[in-house]
Amino acid sequence: MSGVSTRDLPVPALARTGLLSWIATTDHKRIGIMYMVTAFAFFFVAGIMAMLIRAQLAQPNQSIVTSHTYSQLFTLHGTAMIFFFVVPFAFGLANFLVPLQIGAPDMAFPRLNAFTYWIFLLGALTVMSGAATNGGAAASGWFAYVPLSGIKISSGLGQDFWILGILMASISSILTSINLITTVFIYRAPGMTMWRIPIFTWEMVATALLVLMAFPALTADLGMLLIDRRFGGHFFDPAAGGSAVLYQHLFWFFGHPEVYIMILPYFGVVTEIVSTFSRKPVFGYVGMVLAAFAIAGLSMGVWAHHMFTTGAVSDPFFSAVSFLIAVPTGIKFFNWIGTMWRGSISLTTPMLFAVGFLLNFLNGGITGVMVASPPIDFHAEDSYFLVSHFHYVIGGGSLFAIFAALFFWFPKIFGVKLNEYWGKVCFAFEFIGFNLTFFPMYFLGVMGMPRRVYTYPNLPGWGSLNALATLGAAIMAVGVIIFVVNVIVSAIRRAPVPDDPWGGFTLEWATTSPPPAHNFDRLPPIRSERPVFDLRQSDLGSQRKR
Amino acid sequence: MALQTEPHKMGMGPGFWPVTIGLTLLGIVSGILIGILPLDYLLPSSSLNVTDRGADIDFLFRFMSIIGNAIFVYVTGFVIYFAIAFRRRKHEPIESIGVQIHDLPALEFWWSIIPTVILCVLAIMSIRVWYLVQYGTGAPAFAVEVIGHQYNFEFRYPGLDRGIYNEMHLPLGRPVRVLVTSVDVLHSFWVPEFRLKADTVPGLVQNLNFTPQVAGTYLIECTEFCGVNHSFMQAKLIVEPQAKFNAWLDAQKKTAAVAAAPAASVAPSGSLALAGDAAAGKTSFKQKCSSCHKAEASDPEQDGPDLEHVFTNKAHPTLVNGQSVSPAHVAALIESGYKGSGPEAMPSAQQTGASAKDIANLTAYLASLK
Repeated sequence: MSGVSTRDLPVPALARTGLLSWIATTDHKRIGIMYMVTAFAFFFVAGIMAMLIRAQLAQPNQSIVTSHTYSQLFTLHGTAMIFFFVVPFAFGLANFLVPLQIGAPDMAFPRLNAFTYWIFLLGALTVMSGAATNGGAAASGWFAYVPLSGIKISSGLGQDFWILGILMASISSILTSINLITTVFIYRAPGMTMWRIPIFTWEMVATALLVLMAFPALTADLGMLLIDRRFGGHFFDPAAGGSAVLYQHLFWFFGHPEVYIMILPYFGVVTEIVSTFSRKPVFGYVGMVLAAFAIAGLSMGVWAHHMFTTGAVSDPFFSAVSFLIAVPTGIKFFNWIGTMWRGSISLTTPMLFAVGFLLNFLNGGITGVMVASPPIDFHAEDSYFLVSHFHYVIGGGSLFAIFAALFFWFPKIFGVKLNEYWGKVCFAFEFIGFNLTFFPMYFLGVMGMPRRVYTYPNLPGWGSLNALATLGAAIMAVGVIIFVVNVIVSAIRRAPVPDDPWGGFTLEWATTSPPPAHNFDRLPPIRSERPVFDLRQSDLGSQRKR
Repeated sequence: MALQTEPHKMGMGPGFWPVTIGLTLLGIVSGILIGILPLDYLLPSSSLNVTDRGADIDFLFRFMSIIGNAIFVYVTGFVIYFAIAFRRRKHEPIESIGVQIHDLPALEFWWSIIPTVILCVLAIMSIRVWYLVQYGTGAPAFAVEVIGHQYNFEFRYPGLDRGIYNEMHLPLGRPVRVLVTSVDVLHSFWVPEFRLKADTVPGLVQNLNFTPQVAGTYLIECTEFCGVNHSFMQAKLIVEPQAKFNAWLDAQKKTAAVAAAPAASVAPSGSLALAGDAAAGKTSFKQKCSSCHKAEASDPEQDGPDLEHVFTNKAHPTLVNGQSVSPAHVAALIESGYKGSGPEAMPSAQQTGASAKDIANLTAYLASLK
């Protein structure tokens, strides 16, 4: 990328290098990197909290941390993993990739893009800084159910910090979604028709639409909670005509689509990776896109399955819709398997993590269908069965896809390829550790262990299954340390890596690694959803003819 | 592409049918194991028939586990099998590609339709069992109230004017209705061995109907996070023969009578003798009555009868039980509760926890709405 592009000129010299260049940047790639690095930092914080939680639960009747600390730990663990890791990482990846995948020079609203990052960071730090207030950080769970989160019980500032921080993070998500949708609809390169958009970008469009529908319910809910707490409102106070169930309705109207906001982007990641390493087109491209939108649509109508045990909702309706959502999810599964069928599969680290995603997510999906059944939910709700179920979806699913994405796009983002051998070792630790942590929890839940308990009585089997879970968590932690060392060592060594080390299919592989500020000097012709594959095959063909 | 002639990319793939048959057998064998695995191991001291609905819920759980297991075996099996069977062999060039299949509409049609049918069957089975859980138990012999407190379960029995804490007794083989609510934050009433759970929500009363069928002592746990001592919020449930249960209840009543002796003069019908305080009555009304009744123009509409101007409303000269509208009759109605012919019912004072003083206050409050 020699020479100075005209797009580089308007940037003042001051803002081209150094720290200020990052603070002042409106470049979608830099903002994407900042999102992902910040998100990963919160993954470490929340991961350390998870380790403390597992240590406290390793044996019955322990008191390694105090009960109040424990409540803060699981509140912040859930909050950070959901709001500050899995969701912003997806937005970071989308920030980096979506303009590249559609052949655009940047996002539609670059300055709005920078704003969304900074307000997300501010929100995340606000929530965490609650720990420095007098009463400690928020301790009423990531869902902050009333009346527990009300001023009478949670009188500390930590809860207010939590509300304000989450409000900022959700405003960030809403604005980013507007930016993403506009970018995809308006900024596609010539030839990039809607039916040629890579699946990852499609999944981000579905995600962004879901954010636009779901997050306003959360901001309304938390706004009402704040008014109840600090300005004498009675929205959720049954003694004054309010309703504690109303809070739950609004929360889950956001909260269930949120699950799909956390998984749809990673469906996209896995689709790209499975297709690339099977050396095949995505099986059933159109079905894949339609399934994403079917999931998004249905996910807006299942929220009350989180409330079966309140006795305040229509169980048959919400149960039936929850069952149905497994149909488009199943279609995606079959399409992934169809993509592998008769491929030429290389089990690289990203592909291993993608396969790990398939197996873990399948596990969480099947138990998800089980708890969609109200009678089973009457037993499983708020037990460790549920804890295991959603960790299989978000931990075994999204987290594994995040690792897959990091190994896959690391060369594109930084021009450095991570060590494959240690990547596979990392995968082995994560996969074994993950299943060892969460599979025993299914049994603990059926045996009657409730969620969010600080400690538990020494009932037959509880101690040993919990010890197994803690061992698994430690193995996962070792895997994460191996990953970090891998990143550091690979970054220091900087082994030379081609622009397209994997033989990628989509447009981000048509430029240098890392891409220049303006993304592309020239675009290949776009005649399918795999322009780089088409280009490579026609080059190979002409070589053979010669 | 010339590379498509690689032998391992022919047809369905090498060993496709043996693998399929193997996975089918594995799915069936593991399904049978799940079907006969005793759940007693998972829930000690339980049996399938610990309540009248336990067997239904356990059957559903096993059935869905068997179906889920079969799907898990197939999908996992094929993912791993394809990853091995279609791996790029060492002798293949790096740029080798798979068979460029974009889709197979017939296949996609069937793998959309078959799961839909399976899921519809599961949904219908679930809703059937749900219906049994909700409505399948006969008319309850009596009702026990469960009131969640941070961090205790309070149990209230008919004819006993004080709560029993953290110990619940139920007679064996009698249909019972458990009414569940909370006075502070959310809790959840869970008896794992009964497979039944109900959140206790302030301002809301929900009920569980079941018949305990096996005598024994069971663990009641709070399973909705309710604060720092959530994990210690547990109670004992003792299911015992009717005679033993009656003896226990009588003993509790004697203790209650002794405990309540100083206030004996205010007992049940004494409420009329008390001068009611309309302001206090308004507070009680919001807590105990307003989820069903509207009293003032600014209150939201509710399902129960509108009590605005109940003493002066010419349109309704009598109470729901046909008696004339007098303070004595209103107080009596609050005290006794009311059960109509339909599903609607008003809990008694014993059930709502309204004291004689509360009833007097409530009557005074309603009388003040002229």
